[in-house]
This record gives sequence, C-alpha cells and structure tokens, in this order.
Amino acid sequence: MLEGAKSIGAGAATIASAGAAIGIGNVFSSLIHSVARNPSLAKQSFGYAILGFALTEAIALFAPMMAFLILFVF
Amino acid sequence: MRRIFQFDETSLNSSSSDTYSRTASQSTTTINDYSLKSSSSDPYSRTASQSTNFSSGQASGSQDAYASGQASGSQDAYASGQASGTQHAYASGIFEDHPGLNPTDERVVELQCMIRENFEVLTCDPQRALNLAEASHGESNNIPFLEYLLDDLTQNGVSGESFREALDQVGQAAASPLDQFEIVPLIPMNIGNFYFSFTNPSLFMLLTLSFFLLLIHFITKKGGGNLVPNAWQSLVELLYDFVLNLVKEQIGGLSGNVKQMFFPCILVTFLFLLFCNLQGMIPYSFTVTSHFLITLALSFSIFIGITIVGFQRHGLHFFSFLLPAGVPLPLAPFLVLLELISYCFRALSLGIRLFANMMAGHSLVKILSGFAWTMLCMNEIFYFIGALGPLFIVLALTGLELGVAILQAYVFTILICIYLNDAINLH
Repeated sequence: MLEGAKSIGAGAATIASAGAAIGIGNVFSSLIHSVARNPSLAKQSFGYAILGFALTEAIALFAPMMAFLILFVF
Repeated sequence: MRRIFQFDETSLNSSSSDTYSRTASQSTTTINDYSLKSSSSDPYSRTASQSTNFSSGQASGSQDAYASGQASGSQDAYASGQASGTQHAYASGIFEDHPGLNPTDERVVELQCMIRENFEVLTCDPQRALNLAEASHGESNNIPFLEYLLDDLTQNGVSGESFREALDQVGQAAASPLDQFEIVPLIPMNIGNFYFSFTNPSLFMLLTLSFFLLLIHFITKKGGGNLVPNAWQSLVELLYDFVLNLVKEQIGGLSGNVKQMFFPCILVTFLFLLFCNLQGMIPYSFTVTSHFLITLALSFSIFIGITIVGFQRHGLHFFSFLLPAGVPLPLAPFLVLLELISYCFRALSLGIRLFANMMAGHSLVKILSGFAWTMLCMNEIFYFIGALGPLFIVLALTGLELGVAILQAYVFTILICIYLNDAINLH
C-alpha cells in the first residue's frame, strides 16, 4: 500500500517536467527569433539564453528531486 | 514479531559461545536503521506453519528424504540437485569459517548452504553472495527461520523481503541512489554539547580550498608569474578575467567606472563553487555542494552580507527597495509584503537551486549506471549488448553534469552580482 502510494507520488511529481520543457523550449525559441532578427547580437543573446536555460533547468530539477525524496527518503 | 528478532546476538558477537539464547533485540549499529523500515507483516506465523510442513516431510529423518520431498513439493527441481550435489563442499567451508557452528546439526548447514546458493544465483557474485547470506541468516540455527528465508528467496527472488533485508544489512542498499551523499564522521569530536566532527564534507571542502589556493599561489608567484604565461597561468588568468568581466558587467551602475570592492569575495565564491562541483564529478569522491546545509549556509551568509551592504550605503532609505516607484497608495501594503517575500526568498532559492542541481544530477547518473550494471550482471549476451544503451546515456549525462557543474557556479555568481547591484544601486 505504502509502496504503491510512493510510486504514484513519485510519478505525479515528474509531471512538473512538462512545465520545464515548455520553459526551456521558450528560451531557445526566443533565442532563435532574436538572432534571426538581429544577428549582430548573437553572442550576447546566447549568454543570456544560457543563463535563462540554467534557471529554468534548476526549477525543472525540483521535480526529480521531489521524486527521489518521495521514493528513497520517506 | 519481526523476523529480524530471531538472530542470535550472542553468537554474532562471539563465535565460541554455546548458549543460543534468543534475544529480543538485535544490536544495530548503523545510523540509518533499515530494520525499522521492514514491513510489519508477521512472518513468524508463516514460519510456524512451514515448520509443520517440514516435520511431516522429514519423517524419515534423513537428508535425502527431505530433498526428494522438497523436489516433489512446491520447490523447483533446482533444490534437489543442489542438495545432493554441491552441499558437502560448502558444508566443509562453512565449518572452517565458523568454528562456533554446531557441526552436528547438518540440517542447519544444509539450509544455510542452500540459502547461500540462492543468493549466488540472484547476485551472480560469490563473495557478495556469501556476505549477503551471512547477513540474512547470521549464525542462527533456527530451522523454521532458515526455511522461511529459503522459501522467500526461491519464490520471491530479488523482490522478496529477505533479499532486500540482506542487502540493507550488508550496507550495499543498492536500492538507494542517495547513499553517495552520506555524511560520515572521519574524526569524531565533541566540544561541550556540540558535535564538531571532522566529516567527509569537511575533508573535501578542505581539499577544494587547498587545491585552488595552491594553484593560485604557485602560479602567481611573487613576481606575478611569467610575462608570457604557460598553460597553468593561462588557466588562472582566464578564470580571473572571466569573473572580473562578469562583475564589471553587472555591478557598474550608472556612473560607469566604479571601484569593484566586492570583486575578491565574488571571485573566491565562484572558484570555491566551481572546484567543489568539478571535484564532485570524480567517481567515489564526495559532492560538497549536494548538501543544502552547505549551499544554504553559503547563500544565507552572502544574503545577509548583501543586506548589510545595502543598509550601509543607504541607511533606512534602503527600505524604499521594497516599494517600486509610482505605485498607488492603496496597493502599497500588498506590494511591500510581496517584495519582502520575494527578497527573502532569493536567499533560499539561491541555495536550493545549486543543491537541487547537484543532487538530482548525481542521483540520475547513479540510477542510470545502476541500470547498466544490472544488465551487465545478467550474464546473457542479449542483455550485455543492451547494456550499451544505458552506458552511452550515462556517458552523455556525465558530460551534461560537467556542464551543469560549471554553469551552476556561474549562475550562482551572476545572481550574487545582480543582488549586490540591486542593494548598491536600489533598482
């Protein structure tokens, strides 16, 4: 019973990855858009994109972290 | 009554004791008491019923009768083959290993051999199987208990309760990828009521610090190094320039060329985090930044420092940070509250981001390499080829983790710069 509930909880925690996927896709699509419009800013916008990617990725990692906590700690 | 209670504590502690008194509790020395996690089902009643079956099957009293009876019963043919074949070799080995074992009780030895054989099939590693078997039955000579173990192993296999419990006992605990983050005191110390042990995080932090301090010290010697830098000096100069540009970009303000009085602190923070993260990628080392105790301590102390800098620069005017300009008065209480929460949450998010990245990444690599390892251990050519898939994923993930290690140090640093800029220039 507890094992099953744990598995369900961990699985439900990973649903959050969907939002992170949208976010990361948004970051890079914006990068492509902006570089296409103004290629001279490519280097600068790439730096910002990497920063945005890292911030989004960090939020994305909360989901597997919760899953691990549910599965292995409690 | 839990099954684990049937271990003989006296015989576990001293091998020469003859008194097999049943103790009510087993001495568990591990910090994580895995035995508490075992399910609260009642295996003792099952063992009791099994012992009655056993006694009826063993009416003739000889081992052969038992083995044949078992083969015809619920057990598979493997048990009978094992019982007649390899049992003597194992039996002699066990007598040599355990002088405290009563050699007259052949039935116990037979059962223990079969349990060990089962473990060997399940783990495909003789040494580990021996450890697991010893962990699971201890030196108990309780026949119903041993029979219960054997039944559980043959019927449930890896998913059985006794297998998992044995794993936990040996400390392999292959189930948990979080074991790599365990804090172990290397030099236990108590000062007053405080526990000031020198632990493995302390050791690795010391290693990190000494590594990059020595790197910088030896490369930029008194004269300031060589005019034409060699590779190592280029590395240090690269790092220095990188952080200096970062700080100049972020903390400039409107006045342009300002004195970067916070640059040394930021440089050291960046280098410390970078070397910690990269050191954690070495196999069998310890990732210091995967503990939120450490990342939160770092982020909170930096956050408090930034707040102090803000108050120093602006006095009580610093509170205007909480209220954006041009806000209608009725909205002000809500906005101040929201800004205060978001300001305080910065410290938390700064630490948790780093910790979550490191922990999730390392756990992921561990889990996936566990897949590959299990597939390699299956001893079948099909699985052996199939294991290449997880292996390549692990390889790719390791590359990604190296990137994340550098990126997270960079993100931490750039966010400190942004927050510091906020505190100095007030929006």
